[in-house]
Amino acid sequence: MERPIFKPIGTAEEALDTPALVVDLSGLNQNIETMHSFFRSRSVGLRPHVSGHGSPAIAHMQIAAGGTVGGIMTATLGQSEVFAATGFDDIFLANLVTAPSKIARLCSLARRVNMTVAVDSAANASDLGEASVEAGVTLNVVVEINTRRDGMGVAPGRPALELANAIVGEEGLHFAGLMTYEGSIRAEGDELVSESKKWIQQVLDTREKLEKAGLDVEILSVGGTHNYEIAGEMDGVTEIAAGSYALMDEGYRTYRPQFVNAAKIMSCVTSMPEAGNVITDAGRKAIGGDTGNPGIPTLPGGEVRGLSAEHGGIDLDPSFDHGLSLGDRVWFVPNSIEGCVNLHDYMHVIRNGKLDAIWELPARGRYR
Amino acid sequence: MDYYRPVPGTQVEDLETPCLLVDLDAVEHNFRVVADTYRDTEVKMRQHTKNIKSPRLALMQIETGGTVGGVCTAKLSEAEVMVEGGVTDILIPNQVVHKDKIARMCALARRADMKVCVDNMQNVQDLSDIADAYGVKIGVLIEVDTQMGRAGVRSNEQGVAIAKLAESLPGVDFKGVMSHQSLMEYKGEEDRYEVGRQTIQICLDVKNAIEAEGIAVGMVSSGETFTIDVATTIPGVTEVEGGTYALGGTTYDYMKDYRMANKVMGTVISTPRSGVAIGDAGLFALSGLGADSVEDHPEITVGEMLDHQIVLKSDGEMPLKVGDKFKLIPDYQDMMINRWDQYIGIRDGAVEQVWDIPGRGCTQ
Repeated sequence: MERPIFKPIGTAEEALDTPALVVDLSGLNQNIETMHSFFRSRSVGLRPHVSGHGSPAIAHMQIAAGGTVGGIMTATLGQSEVFAATGFDDIFLANLVTAPSKIARLCSLARRVNMTVAVDSAANASDLGEASVEAGVTLNVVVEINTRRDGMGVAPGRPALELANAIVGEEGLHFAGLMTYEGSIRAEGDELVSESKKWIQQVLDTREKLEKAGLDVEILSVGGTHNYEIAGEMDGVTEIAAGSYALMDEGYRTYRPQFVNAAKIMSCVTSMPEAGNVITDAGRKAIGGDTGNPGIPTLPGGEVRGLSAEHGGIDLDPSFDHGLSLGDRVWFVPNSIEGCVNLHDYMHVIRNGKLDAIWELPARGRYR
Repeated sequence: MDYYRPVPGTQVEDLETPCLLVDLDAVEHNFRVVADTYRDTEVKMRQHTKNIKSPRLALMQIETGGTVGGVCTAKLSEAEVMVEGGVTDILIPNQVVHKDKIARMCALARRADMKVCVDNMQNVQDLSDIADAYGVKIGVLIEVDTQMGRAGVRSNEQGVAIAKLAESLPGVDFKGVMSHQSLMEYKGEEDRYEVGRQTIQICLDVKNAIEAEGIAVGMVSSGETFTIDVATTIPGVTEVEGGTYALGGTTYDYMKDYRMANKVMGTVISTPRSGVAIGDAGLFALSGLGADSVEDHPEITVGEMLDHQIVLKSDGEMPLKVGDKFKLIPDYQDMMINRWDQYIGIRDGAVEQVWDIPGRGCTQ
């Protein structure tokens, strides 16, 4: 487990041990306000996806900010258990739960909180139904529709209707609606609008089909940080699952300028072996590198050359005089915030440049 | 943090997934290969523990033999984990420059023989000043850049200058030289030996230049898994910093003596289309450098990885059904193990022991 040296509240950010995941409180509050104010005046609600930060403390801030459906979205059963234990009573697990031992855990959770889960097969619906009857609980079930991604889910239209009917026929299940994860669309302007509508419309068309067949679709969950304002204006969409907006990352920077980078990895310069070559103590294990290089917005003239496991290499344009020396701090903006928080057990919360709190990330590593 | 600890005797097919498995027969075999390789050689193993992150596994190699009796760690916090776990001889082949961190290293030097690599005069001065104030000595080795373009001196002259400074200071003990190199591409055995010899020679050149100034060089710590055998043919190298060999690694075609010991087991949760199966282990559990094959299923290829799912594809009929377990062979264990809190040690198809991975996340 990560073991940063804890320093007293009020310690200057630069004095924290490195590498450190640092979160700027004013940036976080600003991002939450930007996103949630969009939803406060609309009937469509936001369901914060906790994978974007992993922090119960941030999730509580999101719910308190209004504009939400009152609950959160999770990606794994283990993550759901952690958030159920930290005060959330409406959890939508946007994943399939198929193993008998996991179905038992899901039913146990459903005794304490309002649980919604995705399915993409009648066999799974039947297993869930049987287990929930035995456990004496009701599971809310949504049909996962496969749209843009080559992943799980049934095809839109008739296959989704057939599966919905199978769910309705299960005594222990409550058919709650439809979802798709169209994946993060990295585009701007008209292209983002047309790409988003293309996939979401397939789910809306499916909704119509189900309603004609007499089924009630309470939940229609689509979208994300990449297209919430487009998806949120489409009639029939009831909730948007977004997570990255709270802390933001380098991958979204050019597409979502309304949000600021509230999370950074603070690193230390450990070697400057030749002019223009800066080596820091934060590499792939601290920043994450599965989706691309991080940004370094606070170091003009600097460019991330690449990350190795333990080091971050920076090419620094010598015409910028930074007076940089060994021991100095350099801040990286992770390329993917989800991937970055999955590497950390704590985040250091910074207010006005000083340590304000340490928030644990208790769901880290809960892949099961 | 995850707390999954199945009881010994649990059958592998009954484990919750995804989970990180370690085949104990395979890892014990790998440790024996190293012990045999270095039984009668001058050069010995100093296992790099940045990938295994477990004092238990480090001590297993030390107990099996072929080592200098100590380990490498990439970071100071990893060194703290190893010392707490009972390892008392540590080399950090990396720089520790911040004064807070140097002080922590000096505190650790009261319980263990601490050595660190340097490439900068001011850093050597800082190490000596703080160590002197603590009443300890920190061993220093000069890092030599042989290929990677990262830290390290770029010339013999730089190496000599730092060695002279280290010799003159009270808080540091000049030990020798160190280099790390990498086999970017495997082009056959002859080329592997050639790359190993050429790069390590650059490190030996610095050693020779320092010795020419009358300063003794006791340690030449160089090499990694790809030069475990190469180093036995290079006089002057005293220790090899191998890491990957312990748990095996598929990227390395030459690692035929070593067995793949670490696997991530997943379960199929959906078979949405013909020839496609979705598994419950994704990027978070595997890393983007992840996995490119499924054990015992050469006909299956790994498609897209999502945060928590993996798309498996088969040209013909997909042999895996919903509920079936599968084992992914990781491509880059270092990055993957850093995402797990436990090893599930298995033998003969059942759990034998579960070990925490206390070095997980210790990047500080």
